[in-house]
Amino acid sequence: MTETTNMKEKLAEMQRAQGPLLEVKDLKVDFTTDDKRAVHAVRDASFSVYPGQWVAIVGESGSGKSTSAMAVLGLLPGTGKVVGGSIKLEGQEIAGLKPKDYQKLRGSKMGLVPQDPMSNLNPVWRIGTQVKEALKANGMDVAHEKRSALAKALAGDEVAVKTNDDETFIGSQELPALFDAAKVALKAAGKSDEKIAKLMERFKEEWVPGSETRWRVADDLIKAGVKDDDAWVVAKEHVTGSTMNDRIAGLLSEAGLPDAATRARQFPHEFSGGMRQRALIAIGLACRPDLLIADEPTSALDVTVQKKILDHLHMLTDNLGTAVLFITHDLGLAAERAQHIVVMYKGQVVESGPSLEVLQHPQHPYTKRLVAAAPSLASQRIISAHERGEDAKALMEHQVKGEDALKKSEHIITVEHLTREFKLPRKKELFKAVDDVSFSVKRGTTLAIVGESGSGKSTVANMILKLLEPTSGKVIYEGQDIAGFKGRQLLDFRRHVQPVFQNPYGSLDPMYSIYRSIEEPLRIHKIGDKKSREKRVRELLDMVEMPESVMTRYPNELSGGQRQRIAIARAMALDPDVIICDEAVSALDVLVQDQVLRLLNDLQAEKGLSYLFITHDLAVVRQIADEVVVMQHGKLVEHATTDEVFDHPKMQYTRDLLDAIPGGKLQLGLD
Amino acid sequence: MGRYLLRRILQVIPVVLGTTLLIYALVFALPGDPVTAMFGGKPVNQAVAAQIRAEYNLDKPFIVQWLIFLKNSLTFDFGNTFAGQPVIDVVGRAFPVTIKLGLMAFVFEGIFGVIFGIISGLNKGKWYDTVILVLSLLLISVPTFVTGFVMQYFFGVKWHILPVTVSANPGFLDLLMPAMVLGSVSMASIIRLSRTEITSNIAEDYVRTARAKGMSNSSVTVRHILRNSLIPVVTYLGADLGALMGGAMISERIFNIQGVGNTLYQAILRGEGTLVVSIVTIMVLIFVVCSLFVDLLYAVLDPRIRYA
Repeated sequence: MTETTNMKEKLAEMQRAQGPLLEVKDLKVDFTTDDKRAVHAVRDASFSVYPGQWVAIVGESGSGKSTSAMAVLGLLPGTGKVVGGSIKLEGQEIAGLKPKDYQKLRGSKMGLVPQDPMSNLNPVWRIGTQVKEALKANGMDVAHEKRSALAKALAGDEVAVKTNDDETFIGSQELPALFDAAKVALKAAGKSDEKIAKLMERFKEEWVPGSETRWRVADDLIKAGVKDDDAWVVAKEHVTGSTMNDRIAGLLSEAGLPDAATRARQFPHEFSGGMRQRALIAIGLACRPDLLIADEPTSALDVTVQKKILDHLHMLTDNLGTAVLFITHDLGLAAERAQHIVVMYKGQVVESGPSLEVLQHPQHPYTKRLVAAAPSLASQRIISAHERGEDAKALMEHQVKGEDALKKSEHIITVEHLTREFKLPRKKELFKAVDDVSFSVKRGTTLAIVGESGSGKSTVANMILKLLEPTSGKVIYEGQDIAGFKGRQLLDFRRHVQPVFQNPYGSLDPMYSIYRSIEEPLRIHKIGDKKSREKRVRELLDMVEMPESVMTRYPNELSGGQRQRIAIARAMALDPDVIICDEAVSALDVLVQDQVLRLLNDLQAEKGLSYLFITHDLAVVRQIADEVVVMQHGKLVEHATTDEVFDHPKMQYTRDLLDAIPGGKLQLGLD
Repeated sequence: MGRYLLRRILQVIPVVLGTTLLIYALVFALPGDPVTAMFGGKPVNQAVAAQIRAEYNLDKPFIVQWLIFLKNSLTFDFGNTFAGQPVIDVVGRAFPVTIKLGLMAFVFEGIFGVIFGIISGLNKGKWYDTVILVLSLLLISVPTFVTGFVMQYFFGVKWHILPVTVSANPGFLDLLMPAMVLGSVSMASIIRLSRTEITSNIAEDYVRTARAKGMSNSSVTVRHILRNSLIPVVTYLGADLGALMGGAMISERIFNIQGVGNTLYQAILRGEGTLVVSIVTIMVLIFVVCSLFVDLLYAVLDPRIRYA
């Protein structure tokens, strides 16, 4: 512990001595619209990043956080332009630099880990080639490690300062000879065979060609008991430098990609999202930049993967002494990862300070809202509107009522031994997407199904909606097996069980006006005449707190949150009993997410709706659900009330999911 | 891959059978009597006419004619034209000319289409982008024969830069203008296609990532923008190679080139089923081979596509 405190002090001292690595002052960025009007995307933003520091910029989409970061990189999209202020890197003004000079800074001084791993790798080039481009573009020496001054100084205590030769990488060709020599050296040092075998196993794991250096090898041997001189002889003789391909594999394996040498020859489409993001991290850090800009690097990934990748990135940047400018919309995540938080709102920096300070004593009203809305920080279920604002007694009552409801109320939907198999191409055995899942949703309550992507949760939802037939098992709605529903009965079922899907951009027909979208279910079910339908649409819009004026507008004119409200209004049109929300808030910003969740909650309290909530985000579950079902690989692994799952998770998998909630363990005091 | 290739090659059989049958039916359905046409519309001795009919199997229903054609073609006997030459000789004389013309047009449209497309796409909004766009729109909307006559008038008749019509055994210069006319519409399409692809690719995330790596503007352009943009262009070009053979007919008529187009045109007028079918069959084969080639090329260019 004292060692880490020492390190921290030392780091702080160095940061003071060196001054900021990046200093942005009164930055102004404008975009020009087609009719030549200027849109001010960033207005007078100022922030600094010190060497080795993680600084987070937090804000909702459109707050100018990504734009600020791209302005630093000199990669503003389209008509974006820095129109004022200064950007200083190591004291040098870089705003308005010539493209040629900017190009020299990118890669070697500033790296980027972009947001969406699916679109940021070129599909036609092999992963390794795309890493190689970064190394080549900056003329990197692939045989030797490049360490920043900061990293060197921090490592200075451990080992004497390294010369370039000591930073030579292990090459894959010489690896077998190195192992042999290490074995001989260990034997000479008088180690037992058993001990040697054990050490060798560790070395085989740690000595990655293109990533581990000569002095590390020597250091490892010395720590294992080999005499200094002997260790250095072995290291000098058998660590003589890596090739380009070794270095590529080394970088990828540093980023946490297993079997990197083979993986480097694959194409992006053969990688999962998490693996692609690791490759992008390898690219971002390939030329050992002093500053890494991480633009929502994990927002497109599952929570558990997100945690692993951020942990890994943290470890890497700490080791390399890389400063990170971390862009995120999640305040909890920012507080957990960064030492310093900058909050942006409508293009302006509204607050900045040390993470805990911002979190515990937010000053600006927007920050307060962010803190209140951050799903990762919310500690309990939202209380519905007419209970909100009343005293603690009402709060207690709600909980008691909630418990009562759970015990007494009948089951509106019951799922019994539900199984669904799929045939995979070129495979004989069937793939079990859902494997013997049973649970029930009680009237007027919310049940959440949680799991990573591929856990089968959406397949369950589709079977309950009767959009997909189960291979075996039953779905019972109001005491009747839905498998037998046909014609009139099926229409009736569809009327009472309504879905709200994940992507509010895809689930509304872009050619339909908002009015037509909401009115459509009424028309299909032949409810009322034209006049009464119009009245109903007005009511529904009012219910989801949207102005009537949106009726004539089209989906592309609305924001994501507004569209999701419309989707909810449409689902509510037929007065359903059950609403199935498939990742209904996952695509939304935290603030909007919070609003939508509150809306759903209020509607539940007013209409006695039952929700089946499908999500990968346990933080959201805590805000809305009464009961939780956890799924993994198609199987139900845990089923309990929300409090129980959060307080006493039984399965390791559930614990992993809980651990993955960013900022879950942060102390928070709203004042 | 091997199975895919085999399947594609086997597909050629029904395609050839179908097209030849269709063409026989169409030639049969054409108004006018081939024998009368042969004699220039003058009255013909009934006995002679019957003899000719029998010789060319014209007295039999078209389905029988077709079957006879299929049977003979197995031994590479495609019969004679009405003028008495072996069909295979006529085809053998016409095809090299058209292939030469087609390839010249192909090179022309490929090179100029891609170059102008790249210039336009990389400089979206500049004045020369607009000029290129307007010109390409003009070329697409004006029919080929108009372009042909206009070019023929200016370059050939008025300025005497290029020959007006083409000799029986045309050389490079003879075919230059016809090839440009033939390739003009496709060139305009390629300009537009590559321009659209490039402008949408420039905004791709991976292009930004490449810039963030510190790559120079020129290597980002070549490796990430052009490499990806030209995949659909290459596909278009490949598919067009076959279409050029068919399109050659108009260009050949305007410049009086004795190629496939002209021969086919004459054969249709005379109702010479065998000749028409022989020419079209070869064209179909070229078409099928080209499209197979394009599909295979596509898999080479885009690693996401694999055939099984």
